[in-house]
Amino acid sequence: MNTPHSSHWLQPAFDAPVLDAQVSFRAALGALAEPGSSRPMDRAHALPGLAAATYGLCLAFLDSDTPLWLAPCFDTPEIRANLSFHCGCPIVAEREVALFALLDESELGDLSDFDNGSERYPDQSCTLLIQLADLHNGMPLRWRGPGIKDVRSVSLPLPAGFWHQRQARSAFPRGLDCFFAAGGEVIGLPRSTRVLIETEEAA
Amino acid sequence: MKHPDPNTAARQRWMGVLARAGQALDAHEAALKDSAYQVIRAPEVGMTLMRGRMGGTGSAFNVGEMTVTRCVVRLADGRTGYSYLAGRDKRRAELAALADAHLQGDDQRRWLSDLIEPLALQQRDQRAARAARTATTQVEFFTLVRGED
Repeated sequence: MNTPHSSHWLQPAFDAPVLDAQVSFRAALGALAEPGSSRPMDRAHALPGLAAATYGLCLAFLDSDTPLWLAPCFDTPEIRANLSFHCGCPIVAEREVALFALLDESELGDLSDFDNGSERYPDQSCTLLIQLADLHNGMPLRWRGPGIKDVRSVSLPLPAGFWHQRQARSAFPRGLDCFFAAGGEVIGLPRSTRVLIETEEAA
Repeated sequence: MKHPDPNTAARQRWMGVLARAGQALDAHEAALKDSAYQVIRAPEVGMTLMRGRMGGTGSAFNVGEMTVTRCVVRLADGRTGYSYLAGRDKRRAELAALADAHLQGDDQRRWLSDLIEPLALQQRDQRAARAARTATTQVEFFTLVRGED
């Protein structure tokens, strides 16, 4: 009767599921609409290894229609059980079929294989949910594009490899949209944003 | 149809009894809430599609949607209890989920004898009484021999 079961790992997610999901989704929309601006995303109860902001994005976005790819560091029984239970999303092993991917910093050097949409359906690309330790202590970069008046300076602590990978997977309208989450806040980076690295236009 | 795994079959039975219990659950509220617990999925109301077969045979068709309330709770020791109840009673959905969690623990025998068996007995009596009441309205048709020849 007392065999270990996945339900053993379950934890509460949102206190008020409807309202908190709406607030989180709204914050995510705002983050994408104004790239680089930080938005609060702190309604979810964090899991071990999964920050409140990252979990909030998952709870707001994922359901049974959105296959999710998990980076190895998130692939724990606890995270799997809670995502399956609260979001009901299928967790897939192949990057190609995922509509959302949960990544940590160590995965950012290789973004190949994630679906960047098609010319006809660019919206069917994979959205990357990236958990970082912090959103503000990196080298400041200048972001330009829709949703930014003139230019915005954003200091995400990201390896240079990420920007090259992002550029390699970008062929507007195709491309990858990203959310960066740390603690209780989130920053959006849609494919339409151009990021300037040292006077050279990277993406 | 009974589930081949006896543990699953037993759990299906008590979850069925709890789902049918209705207001009879209220008397056990104090006992059920006696231990610490947290709500994993707060009671929520939704719809489920009901399918049936005419006369219990033939191919299944969609009868219609019905309202259900579901809830998941977790006791301090990590056991989780699930409930699915017809209707919109969130409080009783939580009680039924608590009962399911308690029934999976070491005290199963006590919970079965204190909670499930009395409820099952009561439900059987109600069903028998209703069947008896219905039986009095049954009409037996028979045909008299027609005196033509």
